[in-house]
This record gives sequence, C-alpha cells and structure tokens, in this order.
Amino acid sequence: MVDQTSQLKPNKTVVRPIACGGTGGDPVAIDSKDGKLIRFRPLRWDAEYTAEELKDSWWEVEVDGKKFSPDIRDAPNYFALAYKTRVYSENRVKYPLKRVDWEPGGDPDKINAQNRGRSKFARISWDEALDIIEAELRRIIDSYGAFSVLCIGEDGHRESKDLQAGGGMHATVMNQLGGYTRESRTPDSVEGWYWGAKHFWGSGSNRGLGMIAPPETNFCSWNVCYDITKYSDFIAFHAGDLELTQNYASQFWSRLLKYWEELGKEFVVIDPFCNYTAVCHETVKWIPVLPNTDAALDFAIMYVWLTEGTYDKDYIDTHSIYFNKVCDYILGTDEEGIPKTPEWASPLCGVPVWTIKALARKWAKHTTSLVHFSSGSIKGPYSHEPGRTHAYKIAMQGLGKPGVQQFFMNASDMSKQTLSKTTTAPLSMCSKSRMFYPTVQSVPRSAVAHALNDGELKWWGSPCIVYVPTDEQFKEFNYPAPADQGGTEIHLLWSEKPCNMNCWNGGFNYQEAIRTPKVECFITNHQWLENDSLFADLILPVTTCVEENDMVGASQIVPLKIASYQVPACDTVGESFSDYQIAIKVAERFGVAENINLGMTDEEWLEYAFEQSRLPEEIDFETLKTKQYYIPKTDPDWKDMPAGMRNFYNDPEQFPLDTPSGKLEFWSQALADNFPDDKERTPMARWIIGGPAEEGWTHDETPFGEKAKTYPLLLIANPARFRVHVQGDDIPWFREIETTKVRGFDGYLYEPLWISPVDAEARGIVNGDIIKVYNEQGVILTGAMITERVLPGSIMIHKGSRVDPIAKGIDRGGAANLISPPRSISKHCVGFAVSGYLAQAEKLSRAEYDEWKQKYPEAFAREYDPATGTSYASWVEGGQ
Amino acid sequence: MAKVFVIDYKGCVGCHNCQIGCKDEHCGNDWSPYAKPQPLSGQFWCKVNQKERGARPHVKVSYQTTLCNHCDDAPCVKAAPDAVYKRDDGLVIIDPEKAKGNKAIVGSCPYHVIYWNEELQLPQKCTGCAHLLDGDHPINVPRCVDNCHIEIIRFGEEKDFDLSDCEVLHPEYGTKPRVYYKGGLPKKFVAGTVYDPDAQEVYIGAKATLSGDGDTFTATTDDWGDFWLRDLPDADFTLTIEADGKTKTLDVSTKEKDIGLGDIALV
Repeated sequence: MVDQTSQLKPNKTVVRPIACGGTGGDPVAIDSKDGKLIRFRPLRWDAEYTAEELKDSWWEVEVDGKKFSPDIRDAPNYFALAYKTRVYSENRVKYPLKRVDWEPGGDPDKINAQNRGRSKFARISWDEALDIIEAELRRIIDSYGAFSVLCIGEDGHRESKDLQAGGGMHATVMNQLGGYTRESRTPDSVEGWYWGAKHFWGSGSNRGLGMIAPPETNFCSWNVCYDITKYSDFIAFHAGDLELTQNYASQFWSRLLKYWEELGKEFVVIDPFCNYTAVCHETVKWIPVLPNTDAALDFAIMYVWLTEGTYDKDYIDTHSIYFNKVCDYILGTDEEGIPKTPEWASPLCGVPVWTIKALARKWAKHTTSLVHFSSGSIKGPYSHEPGRTHAYKIAMQGLGKPGVQQFFMNASDMSKQTLSKTTTAPLSMCSKSRMFYPTVQSVPRSAVAHALNDGELKWWGSPCIVYVPTDEQFKEFNYPAPADQGGTEIHLLWSEKPCNMNCWNGGFNYQEAIRTPKVECFITNHQWLENDSLFADLILPVTTCVEENDMVGASQIVPLKIASYQVPACDTVGESFSDYQIAIKVAERFGVAENINLGMTDEEWLEYAFEQSRLPEEIDFETLKTKQYYIPKTDPDWKDMPAGMRNFYNDPEQFPLDTPSGKLEFWSQALADNFPDDKERTPMARWIIGGPAEEGWTHDETPFGEKAKTYPLLLIANPARFRVHVQGDDIPWFREIETTKVRGFDGYLYEPLWISPVDAEARGIVNGDIIKVYNEQGVILTGAMITERVLPGSIMIHKGSRVDPIAKGIDRGGAANLISPPRSISKHCVGFAVSGYLAQAEKLSRAEYDEWKQKYPEAFAREYDPATGTSYASWVEGGQ
Repeated sequence: MAKVFVIDYKGCVGCHNCQIGCKDEHCGNDWSPYAKPQPLSGQFWCKVNQKERGARPHVKVSYQTTLCNHCDDAPCVKAAPDAVYKRDDGLVIIDPEKAKGNKAIVGSCPYHVIYWNEELQLPQKCTGCAHLLDGDHPINVPRCVDNCHIEIIRFGEEKDFDLSDCEVLHPEYGTKPRVYYKGGLPKKFVAGTVYDPDAQEVYIGAKATLSGDGDTFTATTDDWGDFWLRDLPDADFTLTIEADGKTKTLDVSTKEKDIGLGDIALV
C-alpha cells in the first residue's frame, strides 16, 4: 500500500515526565513534527538502552514462586496521555491580559474590586504588563512596605517542572525587593496525620507530614511496599484509592494490585464512596461509612480487640505509653462512662454492628497493613481525630511487624536506587522557586481569606508548615507581624498557583475577600484562564511543561525513579513564558535579574544541577542529554534494608520515635501542656462532633448537631479520577468519559452529584436534573447522578471542577470547595476541612433557572463549549 | 495474515487509556488515506462502556471496551463496496475520499460504531490504526493496544490466540466480528451479606444456593458474611440460604440486572 502519511512522521521525539504533582511520573514519548504535537505515548524503557544496560536498574520480587517487576513499557498517568489537549486547550492564556475595568494606582474608585470574577479582560502587550507590574510594585512597596505583597502558591501541585517551575518565583523576585508575605502551604492531603497522628507517633514522613516513618532513616520509609507484598495478607484501604491515585504519577499500581490479588491477598475499602479501587477488583470488599465518622468506627474496632484480647499486648507494653487512658475511654471506664461498642458506633457511622465485628476480627486475625492515599476523613473537620484513631489501630496490631505497615505516597517505593537520598526527592534539582525562604510575615494558605477580611490573624504552627517536627505546632504567630519588623496588611496578591478558591477551603469566602478595594492589585501567572485568574486584574501567560527545556525526572509514586533531560517538544503557544522567565523579566525592571539567574543560561543551570547531583556517579551529562532519560542502578542490597518501622518494632530503645518519650503516645503530655483548654483536640483521640460557635466549637458538621437540621446531607469531596485536584477539568477527552460530567437540560455539562436512590427519591430527583447543593456558604450547581456508590445521608462531588461564577455565592461549575467550611480543622490547627461537611441538595426548578437567567443575564449569556467547558471568548474581549 | 483484537474485559480497571489513546492518535491528525481527523470530541472509535452493577454495599462497575468489530461479513462494506474495503489483515477501512457524503454508511452498522463527521461530511470509525501497522512509525500496533498498560486489549494474528473461551458481541447479527472478548461477555451476579439478627454477627460459611432455569449455583459466605454468585445467566432463580439449621428462601431475577441483596437476616 502506498504510504501517503509521511507528512505526519515525527521528526522529533521528546521524553518527558508529565504529572500534575511536583515530582514527575512515568515519562511519555512525545512525537512532534515541525513544532506541532502529534502524540503522547507510553515509553518503552528499552528505546534507548539495551536489556543488558537496563539489567542493573531493574528490580524483581518473588513471593510464593510468583515474580513481579516493572513492565518494559511504562504507564504514564492519565493526564500525560491526554496532554495534547492541555497544551492546545481552547482555554490557554496566550497573551498578557488585563481586566478591563481595573485601573492600576490603588484608587478605590478605579479598582472596581467588586467586579473581580465578573468583568472581562483585554489583551495587552508584555511591555504594558511589565510597566504595570513595575509601577504597582514600586507604589505598593513605597506606600505600605514590601510585606504588603502576598506571594501565593508556595510549592503545591502544578505540572512537574524544575528550572522553569513556578510556585515561588515571585517570592524569589520579592526577596530581592525587600521581602514579601509568605502564603505558607498547609499540610493538604495529610491533614489528619499532620495535626493528629504526629502527637501519637512523631513527626513522620519527610520529618513532618505525619504518616509514620522512622527517624533513623531521616524519616524515609523504605521497603514498605516490599514488606506488604511479602507478609501482609489483608490490606485495608481506609482513605485510600490506588486506582484513582494513578492520576498523580504512574498507573503502575493497577499491576501491583493485580499481583497482590494473584498472591491471594484480601482487601477492604472503608470509604463513604465505593471508590475506583473497590469497583473494578472482584476481590475488594467495600464497607461504606458515613463521611467523617471514621473515628467512631475505629473506636468500635478497638473495642472488639480490647474485649476479645486480639491486639498485640506485649508490643503495646514495650512500645507505647498511656494506652490505659485510651482503654478507659473505649471501655467506658473513664469519667464519660460510654463503652465504644459496635452498637454505640453503628448508628453514628452507618456500618452495621455485624460488619464492624467482622472487620475488627478480620483485621486482627490477618497480617494487616493500611493504605492511605489522600481523600476521606483525613481532610474533614476535626481530621486529627480519625488521623489518630487510624494510627492507634495500626499500633495495636504491632506497627513495624512484618506485614504491619502504613502504605502511603512517600512509602510506596519498591526497591531503592543507590543514588536515591529519600523516597521522594528528585535525582537532581535547580529550581529557584521552592527555596522556602523564611520571612517575618506569613499567612497559612487555609486562612488567607480570614487575614484579608479581618486584617488580623492568630494561629499556631510554623511559617514553614509542612516539613517541620511536631513541636512547631505549639508556636503562636500573628498577622500582621510586629510593625517594627516590617509587618503590614496585604494589598497586592501575586499568585503562581491561582486555584485557592477551589483547591482550598471556604472558596466563596475567599472570592469575597479578594473583592475588596483593600486588594489593590491581583496578578496571576497561569497557563489557562480559570479559577482565581477569573478574579485577577492582570494575567500573565505561562508555558506548559511541554514547551520548555528542563530536567524533570520522576521520584515519587513510580515503579522506577528516573533522571531526565528535555528540550521543548513543540513551539511555544502564544506569547507565554515560564514562571522563571517571567520572574527574570520583572527582576530586570528593578535591575536585579542577575541575582536570580546568576548570569547563567538555562543550559548552564541544567548542567549545574546535574553536576551538583549524584548522577555523575553513574552517567555523564552528554549521555543523559542524548538518551533523554536514565534509570539509576538498583541498590544490590535493597531487600535487606529494614522495612518501614521494622527497627522500631525490633528495638524501640535503640530506634526510638521522635515523640517526647520516644514511644507511641496514646495520650500526649505535650498537647496537654500547650493547649490545656482545647476541647476539640484533646491529648488523645476522641469522638468529637463539635457544636455551636457560641459554645466555643469550630465546627458543627455532623448529622447530630443543629446545622444538620437545615443541611442534612454529609458531603464527601474525594479527589476526581480524571482531574488532579483542579487540574485538567477542561480536557475534552476526559469530560466525555461516562460519569465525569452530567449533561443538564440546558446542554451544560455539570459536575456530577453522586446521590443515593433513597435521597434522590425523597427530593424528587432523577438522573440528569440540575441540582443546587448549598449550605450557609453558598450554592453550587451540579448534575444528578443516582448511584449505589454512596450511602443515604451522604452525597459525593469530586473536588476540583472549575469555578464558573454566576453571582455572589452562586457558582455553576460545581466546585465543592466553594461551600466547604472557611474555618480551620479546629481551633489550634490551621489545616483545611474540605470533605465530610454538611449541605443540602435540591432540584433547580425550571422556574428558578429562568429567574436566575433573568437576574444574572451576563453569567448565563457567556458562550459555552461543552467539550472543554470553557468560555474563553466570553471572558476576553476579542477572544484573544 | 488475518488479525484479531482480543479483549479481557474482566481485567479492565477503567482507566480509559484505550479511549484516550485513540483520540490522541486521531484527533487533529490527518492519516489520509486511512482516515481524516477525528473531531476533538463526540466520536468514540474506541469506547469504554461503564455499567454500575448491584446494590450497596455489593457494587461493582464493569468496564467494557468496544470498537469497530472489523467484521468479515461487514454490513458497511456491503452498503458501500466502493468506499469501504477489507484489507488482507482483516481490518475494515472507510476510504475518506470515496466515502465523502455517504451518510448511509453510518446507518449500516448494527454495532453503531460508525460516526458522522458533519464538518467533513464523512462517515468515520476505527481503522485499527492501520497507518501505524503499515508505516514507519515509532509504534506498530493500534494505539488502544499500546496505551493499555495492563494488556487487557491485545492485537495480533488470529492463530496466535486461544479463542476457545471467547465471545463476540451479538453473534446473531451474523457479521463475523474480529473483536473477541476473552472469558466471555459480562454476566450477572447475585450477592448478599448473611447475618444473625439475634447475635448481631455475620454468618461465616453459610451456604447460598441459586436454582432455576435448570441450573444450580452455590457459594459459601466469607469472613464478611458475604456470598457472591457470579457468572450467572439471565434467569429467574430461587435463592436458598442455609446456616445453623436455619433456612431462608428468596426469589431473585437476573433478567434485568445484577442483584445486591444487602444485609440478609437469617432467623
């Protein structure tokens, strides 16, 4: 047959990990022709290396005669395979944009702050954009001091980049201009472990995240995956969904699960949602639990263990302190006098008594490990309680014993490479955006709206929240910082991660906080016109990772860690630049560019990063550039490394935890000493339901309080499978996957509201109805999807769809976090509570729909393309 | 020479990589003379059909990949012999030049896997990525196959596969499909949790027997008190649950759907 397709034969193939997280993933091979992208496909590791060359970089495990090792073809995450649509999205910001009714200069009458999120944008030149930024920064710094600039987006998820990365380049510039207010990342994804479990078992992973890790390895959990594979015969996914989490870095986990199935392991998913792991594996048992009631379930499990003597008593005696206090609480022999029996827990958590007992016995009878991967009660109000009860459970069965481990994203490595310093760190780094500079004035990301609204904020924690030891939770901070240290209120926001409103808590509250003239200027750097950018005054176009040169490998939640070197895979879209390049452009206006790039070219930086790493021990720079990727050699002794908490298990005196006593502390003297009056997070975990604010409670978000009388449904906001948090909601190929969106009668693709047949029927709801989901924070619109995958009394909306503002407190996009509590986890814990809170669901009648259409004509008149869900042209004059 | 697709739907985890890979290959890329570009959305030359099955807490989702069956006796070829042709390797191709404007080709397919491209005035469907098989490209298998990281979708010479336990979609259409489903197509299940309401305990080892339609299926409850009767035909059944000398009988039917019975009190 005559081949007439030669015009599309690629003349370039770039190997590039693409991931929505910061640490890369299994790379894709990107074929392009003359600067235009053709395809993104899985990479065969033998594309550039022979089997002999790969041999020492491979690992293999064998259990019961069954072998398992990485596949020769990798398994890029969902996004990487669809990234062509992100690069060429209808929604790409190609040019600098300025809000049409914002006038720089700080005049409250000319800012039109109230129109943020309403008025349109117009294209401007880079020169004009830089003129504005320079003038605004000079004016703001002169008027209020440098700390009046809030740099948003420290760290966090945003493509995987190194040299060209954002999430701190603005801070790097501002550091040259006198400082800035740091928006500190809070321990999202791991809140319950961070604020709760750290007081039980110490700082944990990466010396701070709160999931268990041994201090003697600098808080890295090696060989947990291997240990589970070898010894565990029962695996509990409690707040864990491996098939979903493959959206992060690699889809390798499907193969691992299949291998575990082949080995005859058994599984339970304890989750309010019948998650993506539960539905596709026949071997998985689903136990539905009402959202954020996991602590009650856990106490009942422990009650069964205590009364039946099926926990590791010897281990508890030698490895923990104050177990008696928890026993008294559970058995009802304390002053409260309530035994936490399965009969007590069942009406609270929605799990039948007989199933609670069966779960408790199964867990105790088997060698059980717990898998945590985001989601669930670990992100809810008072998440420190289930965080601690989950930890208690693992401890009572002998944490560290062969096959008794906690599996989580930083403890998922199978094998170790000789060059790997930690279970997460990239093999080389030269990013200047993640320096975590300490600064006098900082605001936790979860409380920015609070700080803006009230002009002041008190919290306990650290300006360096995530990677810090436990006792930093006891430090008090205040915003503004003392005036003699430069403290001042915030007047300019500059974001390199403009998704606070739907990624973090209390989104509607945040929207209003930035609609005040106190915020004189709001700049965002972002690739796509979405979310916080819709509320900005100035938007700077950013390149996607595919358009950049960089050296991004893979180092977290992947079967093989790699180093990798990239040239751009395609032409730059529009007039976009990387955050690094933008920082240099701004810095040039102030004559400080050389302090940022140190006079080095990109290529020199990449080579410098390479030389500074341990990679030269195994490969030279030119070879890496030619081959584009390199898998470091496997440590020949990796199987002998103590697995997870094995050293502590074997010898707690020689390998203590970094708790004050060195042991597991079922009751924390440190909490008692520092926060003696805290009734929400007491020295040990309890079943906390909260109550009215006037009685000193932060939350009343359970079915048992006053709020539930008005808003009776518990809303779960698990991560979506085909988004990572808020990334990728415009990918047309994902939006048309069944269950990703629901088409309303108006043709709009609404975010699905997963609702049980019982609750749907009670509300007259049928599939496809447009549903208002609301509480005191506001209203979001969703599309009804009636399902058996949630319990009556609970509803599920995957977090992270894009905002599409209709009016104050009303949004069409269905971003759940808009109506999440703006308040912290509890009084002394400034984490976010974005799942397991109360709401009501109600059908939006045609009459009300028409009424809204009359009332908010501009919002409803916006052009809309269901394929991408975007309305770029309706937000930007002239559509450019 | 003749090739087949062999799909193991039971092992599918619902990642949709096949559906995405197909789009990545064909949306925006012109592979003439094999195919013109697929529109950015709305067409599914390869599609994963999802079906939620059972009832809480016995819920599963089946994911079943469908694509052009590349039938040996293809109705589309019959409908437009000048525009649709069968290759020696068994793939059926719609010639984008010759099929232009011929909407009747869309309606000829009983499997509804041919789409109408309004903009190009073209009937379009899966080509088996014939351009990759023929050309000097970085890969030489269909994209859905290359993208499947767990090898649920395979493609190759018919003689290299054991097709004895395979089924095809709607054999009654008589079109002789070349897409085979390993282990057969989705069958029904009946599941439940058996418990003792007095003791408030699950029954482990209770016997569940399903009889009807001349067949009998049995299962024993596990540590959760659960029985799962799988791979059932569509039929009316009598379910008998026995434990501790107690018996409960229920009428169930798999004719319409899978059955999740929830918690069943045995008294």
